[in-house]
Amino acid sequence: MAFTDKEILETVRMVELETLDIRTTTLGISLLDCADPDLESTCEKVYTKIVHHARGLGEVADSIEADFGIPIVNRRIAVTPAAWIAGASGAEDLTPLALALDMAAKEVGVDFIGGFTAYVHKGFTRADEALVSTIPRALAATDHVCSSLSLASTRAGINMDAVRRFADVVLETARLTADTGALGCAKLVCFCNVVEDNPFVAGAHVGIGEPETVLNVGVSGPGVVRSALERLGPEPDLEAVASVVQRTAFKITRMGELVGREAARRLGTTFGIVDVSLAPTPAVGDSVADILELMGVERTGAPGTTAALALLTDAVKKGGVMASSSVGGLSGAFIPVSEDQGMIDAVAAGALSLAKLEAMTTVCSVGLDMVAVPGDTPADVLTGIVADEMAIGMVNHKTTAVRIIPVPGKGPGETVEWGGLLGTAIVQDPGNFGCRTLHARGGRIPAPLQSFRN
Amino acid sequence: MSRRFLTADDVRRSGGGEIAVDPETVVTPQALEVARGLGVTIRAAGGEWREPVPDRGPDAAEEQAHPHFLPEPEDELMGTGVIVTVVGCNRPGVLAEVTAIISDRGASIRDISQKMVGDYFHMVLVVEVPEASQFNELKGALEALDAAQDYVVRVMHERVFRYMHRI
Repeated sequence: MAFTDKEILETVRMVELETLDIRTTTLGISLLDCADPDLESTCEKVYTKIVHHARGLGEVADSIEADFGIPIVNRRIAVTPAAWIAGASGAEDLTPLALALDMAAKEVGVDFIGGFTAYVHKGFTRADEALVSTIPRALAATDHVCSSLSLASTRAGINMDAVRRFADVVLETARLTADTGALGCAKLVCFCNVVEDNPFVAGAHVGIGEPETVLNVGVSGPGVVRSALERLGPEPDLEAVASVVQRTAFKITRMGELVGREAARRLGTTFGIVDVSLAPTPAVGDSVADILELMGVERTGAPGTTAALALLTDAVKKGGVMASSSVGGLSGAFIPVSEDQGMIDAVAAGALSLAKLEAMTTVCSVGLDMVAVPGDTPADVLTGIVADEMAIGMVNHKTTAVRIIPVPGKGPGETVEWGGLLGTAIVQDPGNFGCRTLHARGGRIPAPLQSFRN
Repeated sequence: MSRRFLTADDVRRSGGGEIAVDPETVVTPQALEVARGLGVTIRAAGGEWREPVPDRGPDAAEEQAHPHFLPEPEDELMGTGVIVTVVGCNRPGVLAEVTAIISDRGASIRDISQKMVGDYFHMVLVVEVPEASQFNELKGALEALDAAQDYVVRVMHERVFRYMHRI
């Protein structure tokens, strides 16, 4: 059966008008064989291995763009958590390793490299300790390196000592990158139930069960879903809405799989997963908030928002898994506040509070993302915000994350501009109360019971 | 498995002369520089070492040897089809300009449809190129048309449509 004009024009419209694109092709490279008793040699191997493997990535992505006529917006690299390879050296300052990653990223022309990472959800190794204390300097000294920490999981509980460290690291990173509006914090994220094949930054890295090299793609298309719902109109019921989202997600995912498999083949590596995530950008129309509003809430953050987001995230996942057996990563809907014009507007209008945002993260696919708070937010308040988010993930068997930016010198309601994909944020008010005693206690919140799930 | 890397430190410790490595060994740029400085030659398989083809790992090797069978969604266009869409202001000669480029490249038009809305039109052409390698050339030539003209041409591979619209 030949394609109908309608089908053909639908696809062309998606790409040309609705900003459908492959958001990222991320090449995962295992660096486990780069561990060396000498940190300098470790860095040498790391740099060499990344460049050796990733040199062809840009060319392959370009060739696929040309051959299929589908834009591939970002080319990125994910690597083995740096703490795992740095341990052999016993070094305490791992800045050289971050610089090696940065240099490799520059050499091969990718915009971000993820993997300045440690898993500390049950405790710290010496190398984890070294890595965590290096993060602020590393993020201040590099342009492309992204850092992530695993702080909690459903099986392990929440490591509150690690949460407290994370809060300190966030504040220190903000201080060291104050001249750029604490941009360093935009490259730093923590997780509960961390995802080991996530192609999206800042959390991209290559987990322990991953192959030597693997190509993962992230597809995105809030604009496409938005237009489909616009055409559906306000009359049809919510099952119709779910169905439209599912069908759209199906089409987006199929395109992702086509591109991912072809890119892996051309690069001579294995195809990993397609992450089908509605990842908004500051571009007008490329917004998850707009979708929620088209579904029927007056403003994002109004009552009904969490329910609408639950439907959206679930329908995206369902459409995705029907389209491909290789759906993975985070898959769902992202709600990064500063990167979504609709979310920014909702904050400006007073519709979207930090508390409501937290409620939304119980049903979105990641968590508190790109949230700006005042630069003088105390460490215990950050600890509390992060711990709350980790608890949501832990109890609900869900991945949650926090990417929070205490902007030096800014108070609630003020605006900070990061530009590019990171967008603009309005500093949100975390309230007047903290959790100093909880913060001071430290220790671990035990893993939750798996039965009696009420 | 052979030695994975040769680092600058390895070269310094080698004591000079000549270092033999396996052809798969990756020599770091720093090691090459130190070797040049010390007058050390790095040899692999009897000749001078050259950067090997990246070893993407056992999974990739397995996939190369036994590619996964993944059924593609099917359509009668399988393989060589190209979908050209043209949208813009109507005027005499548009169709001729587009089809001239297609026939110059030895490609054949399998299907064509056109609709008018006021002064605007959209046209869809299903084109078969004799060889897949000519896709890029055709795409470049057709998309170059919109630079100077009053319409927009987009060329996409049929696989994109097959994956999106066929199960």
